[in-house]
Amino acid sequence: MTLERSLFGRLAVVMSVLLTAGAAVLITASWYSARTAADDAYDRVLVGAALQIADGLAVQEGALIVDLRASAFEMLGLADRDRIFYRIVDPTGKTLTGHRDLETNIDLATVHREPVLSSGLYKGEAVRIAVVGRALSDPAASGWAHVILAQTVEARRGLTHELTLGAAITIVIMCFLALVVMILSIRQALRPVNQLGGALRRRDPQDLTPLSVSVPRELRPFVGSINHFMGRLNERVVLLQRFIADAAHQIRTPLTALTAQLDLLNSGELDETDRQHLSRVQQRADELARLTNQLLSHAMVIHRAESVQLEPVDLNEIARRAFRVAVPITVDPDIVVSFEEADAELTVLGDPVSLREAIVNVIDNALRHGTLSRLEVRVRDAGPFAHVEVEDDGPGIPSEEWPRVTQRFQTSKAGEGSAGLGFAIASEVAAAHGGALQFRAKGADAHGFTVILALPRIHREGK
Amino acid sequence: MKSRHLVAFSLGIAAFALVPTLATAVEGTTRLFPAISSEAARLSIHGAADLEAMAPLIRDFQEMAPDIAIEYSDYVTNDLHQKASAACEQNTPLGDLWLSSSLDQLVSLANNGCASAYNSSETAQVPKWANWRDEVFGFTFEPAVFVYNMRYVPAGDVPRTRAELADLLRRRLDYYERRVGTYDIRTSGVGYLLAFSDARQATATYGRLLESMSRADVKVSCCTGSILQEIASGRLYLAYNMIGSYSYAAAKANPDLKVVIPRDYTLILSRGVLIPKTSQRPDLARRFLDYLLSKRGQDVARRKAFFFAEKGDIPEGVDGPPTLGELSFVQPIRIGPALLAAQDEAQRRRFIDDWSHSMLSQPASSP
Repeated sequence: MTLERSLFGRLAVVMSVLLTAGAAVLITASWYSARTAADDAYDRVLVGAALQIADGLAVQEGALIVDLRASAFEMLGLADRDRIFYRIVDPTGKTLTGHRDLETNIDLATVHREPVLSSGLYKGEAVRIAVVGRALSDPAASGWAHVILAQTVEARRGLTHELTLGAAITIVIMCFLALVVMILSIRQALRPVNQLGGALRRRDPQDLTPLSVSVPRELRPFVGSINHFMGRLNERVVLLQRFIADAAHQIRTPLTALTAQLDLLNSGELDETDRQHLSRVQQRADELARLTNQLLSHAMVIHRAESVQLEPVDLNEIARRAFRVAVPITVDPDIVVSFEEADAELTVLGDPVSLREAIVNVIDNALRHGTLSRLEVRVRDAGPFAHVEVEDDGPGIPSEEWPRVTQRFQTSKAGEGSAGLGFAIASEVAAAHGGALQFRAKGADAHGFTVILALPRIHREGK
Repeated sequence: MKSRHLVAFSLGIAAFALVPTLATAVEGTTRLFPAISSEAARLSIHGAADLEAMAPLIRDFQEMAPDIAIEYSDYVTNDLHQKASAACEQNTPLGDLWLSSSLDQLVSLANNGCASAYNSSETAQVPKWANWRDEVFGFTFEPAVFVYNMRYVPAGDVPRTRAELADLLRRRLDYYERRVGTYDIRTSGVGYLLAFSDARQATATYGRLLESMSRADVKVSCCTGSILQEIASGRLYLAYNMIGSYSYAAAKANPDLKVVIPRDYTLILSRGVLIPKTSQRPDLARRFLDYLLSKRGQDVARRKAFFFAEKGDIPEGVDGPPTLGELSFVQPIRIGPALLAAQDEAQRRRFIDDWSHSMLSQPASSP
C-alpha cells in the first residue's frame, strides 16, 4: 500500500499552483495594460507638443520660419528624464531645423491632419515618434510641412513599472490572503473527518451499534458504509455467540453423562496408577463442565444484556442468593466464609439474573484461585455506587495484570490450565449496568485482595 | 613617468608664476593647478567660467585630494559648445568635466547623449530645477543684475526694474547714449540664454527695453569681464544682464561699481556642470562634481567665487531684497528640455537676427 498524501496537502498544493498561475497571468495582464496606459498617456503629450510646434510654423516674407515654442518642450519635459529629438521638414522635403539624421518609417507624404505615431530607434535609443503635418497655403511655400518629434521612452517604461508593481503587490497580497482563507476553510471542511475518526477511536470494541455522529452530506456514504459493515459484523458476532452457546449446550449433555459414567467407575478395584489416572480424568471433566457452564453463562449474560429490560433490584438480596449458590456445601471446612449485607437497602437498576451470575463467578474465582483460609463477601454503600466486594486472603493479582484478566480466557497465572471466563462475565455485566469491575490490592493492614463490582445506585421514590 | 612628473611640476611652477597676470581672466587659456603632494592623477576641466571664480574651488578641492592635479581650460561659452559637440560626435575625449553657464548648450549636449549620468548623496541634494537626468547639474545660484558706476549714475537715476531702465534711457538719452553695455548675444552663449529667457518672461517689457537700448546705441561685448572693466574705467555707466557673481567681485574690487538686483523679476542662472561620456577619468570628475555640490564646496563658492546662494542673505552692498530664495520674482532658469527650444539652430538664428536688427540696426548676419 502506498502512502497517500493528505487531502489537506493535495488541496493546498493544487490551490497554491492555481493561485500562482493566476497571479502570473494577472500580473502579465496588468503589465500589458499598464504599458498601454503609459504609452497612451505619453503619446497624447507627444502629439500635443508636436501640434504645438507645428502651430509655430509660418511663412514670413516668402520663407518658412519656425517659432519653436519652449512650452512644447516644457510639456515634453513632464517626462523629466526623457530626451527629445525633432526635425522640421518643409513642403519640398528639405529639413528646416532640428536633428537632421532623425528618420522614421512613416511616409511623410501620407501624413496630413491626423498625427501618426510609431516606435523606432534613434542613435540606438528606443524612441516614440510622432509626425504631424501642417498645411501651408502661401504661394511661396505651399503644401504640407511636417514636424517629426521623437522622445525616448524612459518615463513610459518607468510608469509601466510603477503601475505594474502596484498591481503586482495588490495581486500578491490577494493571493496570500486567498491562500490563508483557503487553508483555514480546508481545515474547517476536514474537521468532521477528524471527528468521525475520533468517534470511531473512542468507541468500545464491543459496541457494534450504528454510529450516531452527525456528519456533512459528503461523508454520509462513508458513515453509511461503516454502519453497514458494522451491522454485518454484528450479525456475524451474534451468530458466533449463538453457535458457541449451542455448542456448549450440546457438549453439556454428553459431558454430564461422561461425569456420571466416571462416578460409576469403582475406584476400589483399580490399582494405584489407574486410580490416579481416573482422578485426573475426573478433575479435567469437572473443569470442562465448569468451562461449558461459563460459556453458557457468558452467552446468557450477553443475550440478556441486549434483550432484558432492566428493573430496580435490591443488591443485598441478589448478593445473598449468589453467595449461597457460589459457596458449595462441600467447601473446605478450614476456610472461614462470611457474608455481610449493607445496613440499608441498596437499589440498583439491573437484571437480577445477570447480576447474580456475575457475583457467583467472582466468588467462584476467589474460592478456586485466591482463598487460602478466608473469604469475605460484603455489600457496601459507596456513595453514588453500590459495591459488592469479594475479599480473600490469597496472593491476589498483580496490578499490571488487572486490565488483562477481564478479557476472555485470561487468567492471572499463565501456567495454570484453567482459562477462566469469570472476570470477563462479571466485567461485561458491570459494563451493561453502567458500572465497572474494580480491583483493590492486598493492603499492609488486615484486608486482603479484593474484587469489587461497582454499580450505580438509584433511589427509589418514597424511600 | 619621472620625466612627466618633472614636466608637470615645472608647468605648475610656471602657472603659479603667471597668477597675477591672469587675475583678469583671459578666455581661451589652459592653466594647471599642480597637485599639492606628488601627482597621482590629473583631472581635466573644460569650462566657460572665469578662472578667478573657479580657482578657489579648485584649490579647496585639492586640499581634500592633494594628489590630484587639475588642468583647467577656459573658453567662451560658444567655443566650448562647438568643441564639445564635435568631440561628442566624433567620440574623441575633451577633458573629464564640462562647465558652462550656458545651460541650453549643456542640455543640448546631454540630449544628444554626450553626458554620462551620476547619482550620489550629493547630487540628490540638488533642487529639481537644477538637475536634468542626473547628467546636467546646476551648482551655483547667480542672479542676472544691473551694474552701474556710482560716479556717473546719480542716485536718483538708479533703475530697479527693467521698465525703469527703459524709461531712464528714454528720458536721459543724451547722457546715457553710448554709455550702456550688455552682452553680445551673437558671441556669448550666456547672453543669448539670458536674452531668450527675457523674451519668454516678459515679451512687452523686453521689447521696450530692446528699443530703448538700441536708441541709446548700446555697447555690446562678448564677456562680462570687459564690460565691467569699461564701467570701472567710466567709459560705460551702466550695464544690463550682467552675471551677479562677476559683477559683485568687480564691485568688491572697485567701490564705485554698484550691483542692483532687478525687482520686476530676476533671472537666476545656475552654472551647469556635466560629465562627458568620453571622460577619461570619470571617477575624478565625479569626485570633483560631488565636491562642487557638497556643503563645503557650496560654502567656498559662496564666500570666494559666486557670492550668491539660494538660501541665506545676499552679499553686502548689493541693492536688492535681503534674500533671494523664496521670492516670487526670482525666476531660476530651469535646466530641462525647455532649453532645447533656445538651442534650435533656426530659432537661434532668427532670434539673433531679430536682436541684431533692433539692437544694432544691422542687417541680419551672425558672425
